[in-house]
Amino acid sequence: MRAEVAVVGYGRTPYHRPKPGDPHLTADEYIAWAAELALERAGMSKNDFDGQGLGVSHAEVAHTVNWAAATAENLGISPAALIRGDQGGASASSMLIRAAALIKAGIIDRALIVGADTPIDIPSVAPGLPLSPERSRGIFWDFQGPFGVMGANGQFGMIQTRYAHQYGLTDAQLGKVAVTTRYHASLNPGAIFRKPVTLDEYVNSRVLSDPIRLLDCVPIVNGGLAYIVTSAKSARTITDRPVYLLGCGEANNYFHGSRSTPDVTVTGFTDAAPKAFAMAGVKHKDIQFFQPYDDYPIIVLMSIEDWGFCKKGEAGKFIDERSLRFDGEFPLSTDGGQLSGGQPGGAIGGFMPLIEAVTQLRGEAGERQVKNAMIGASCGFGGIPYAKPGRSCISLIFGTEA
Amino acid sequence: MAETTLHKPLPELTDMTRPFWTAAKERRFVLQKCPRCATFNFYPKPWCIECGSRGLVWTDAKPFGTVYSFTISRTVGMNFPGWQADLPVLMCMVDLDDGPRMYAQVTDCEPEDLKIGMRLEVHFEDISDKAGIPKFRPLRKA
Repeated sequence: MRAEVAVVGYGRTPYHRPKPGDPHLTADEYIAWAAELALERAGMSKNDFDGQGLGVSHAEVAHTVNWAAATAENLGISPAALIRGDQGGASASSMLIRAAALIKAGIIDRALIVGADTPIDIPSVAPGLPLSPERSRGIFWDFQGPFGVMGANGQFGMIQTRYAHQYGLTDAQLGKVAVTTRYHASLNPGAIFRKPVTLDEYVNSRVLSDPIRLLDCVPIVNGGLAYIVTSAKSARTITDRPVYLLGCGEANNYFHGSRSTPDVTVTGFTDAAPKAFAMAGVKHKDIQFFQPYDDYPIIVLMSIEDWGFCKKGEAGKFIDERSLRFDGEFPLSTDGGQLSGGQPGGAIGGFMPLIEAVTQLRGEAGERQVKNAMIGASCGFGGIPYAKPGRSCISLIFGTEA
Repeated sequence: MAETTLHKPLPELTDMTRPFWTAAKERRFVLQKCPRCATFNFYPKPWCIECGSRGLVWTDAKPFGTVYSFTISRTVGMNFPGWQADLPVLMCMVDLDDGPRMYAQVTDCEPEDLKIGMRLEVHFEDISDKAGIPKFRPLRKA
């Protein structure tokens, strides 16, 4: 499937953290806004997607049944194929793979992929910690909430404790990820937290779920993102800057070791990334930037090593030895990631690595532009499984040349 | 105190999960065991995650485990406010002696004493008039 499809447009709405009394947009409104931005950039109209594909991401805010079909109705589009992302922060990436397969099969020529969420508006104990109906009912919740699992900070805190136990980990290594994302956010007008922070500020930030600190966490926002994927042939008629999907790989419910007691320091990227590299026909040294799903710095470290940029357990050393800035040796989360850019819900945050990869390869990243960017990688990482790090891991490699 | 309890989440007792909660109320630690391959499954599964047998049977399990990893929760985060009074909560991934891994709270332990590899034993607390819940504490050396 190498270079059979290309991304030709993308859109990201402003991110909001509305307070009571402020205007509150619904997820449907954010979807339309993001779609409008993507269509404008591609020079297309919504009517170009009648008889084509429409993909709608999972979101946590309450929404109607048959949401993908209902979104088509809301937007006034009559697609021939609906794609529903249901893989949390891997949804945006998985919908690209599904769309590519549908396009390669000749069922459709193009698809509009949308996602939005309003986690600020979901009732919770503390603002920005959405305890959505999906999250807080059913057997999965019944065997976590009553046991005292305090959500993602606790779950990833346990992953980080184990990682540190097996390999060692320093505050400076984790902090460098957080500090670098904030630096990149300072160069990105769309990011939510743009004031740079220091390593000292990272280390001294409040401990929420030891070892997870406040500055290990993403700021939750409301917002929406969208992108447009077409056949490579159509892409060349739509834009002079198509961004080709060169390679992809996906692993779901991955486990390393035993199924019942897996090694939680290893993610499904171990499985997904080699597939993406093989399909793309490129090597690690060809990758000019890396856009991980940065919900926590520890996941960034695990992603770097499971993609094979360094040996297992050596991501800390890898980070120590390199600049992660957009103009450094290993540009990372060049839009500020979710850590500083904001997370419009865990599912929709998964659009950001993909869209930043496309932005860089189109040369549209402004002050944070990676020079001569031609090949880059992004991650989909979604769903927090029971006592494991991530349900869905997707590796994507993009390039400017087919 | 009653109010605190009320504001902790309570599980929905279904036909599938009731034996676990009822047993804990009776101070018994049970897990689903696969009659075909002898795997213990947890959390409750619709079939055995190793062999796919649907005939899982609730079975008495050894009430011991080992700390695989842990976190010290200092905020309630994405849970219910009833936990506030219990903070800090020592939350572990516990590798049970009979096989599966379980999220469980460790009590009777100072945060700084909690260590990976620490041996634990089950104890129980009531969370409603129908359900108990297993928690762990450091295993006292005989």
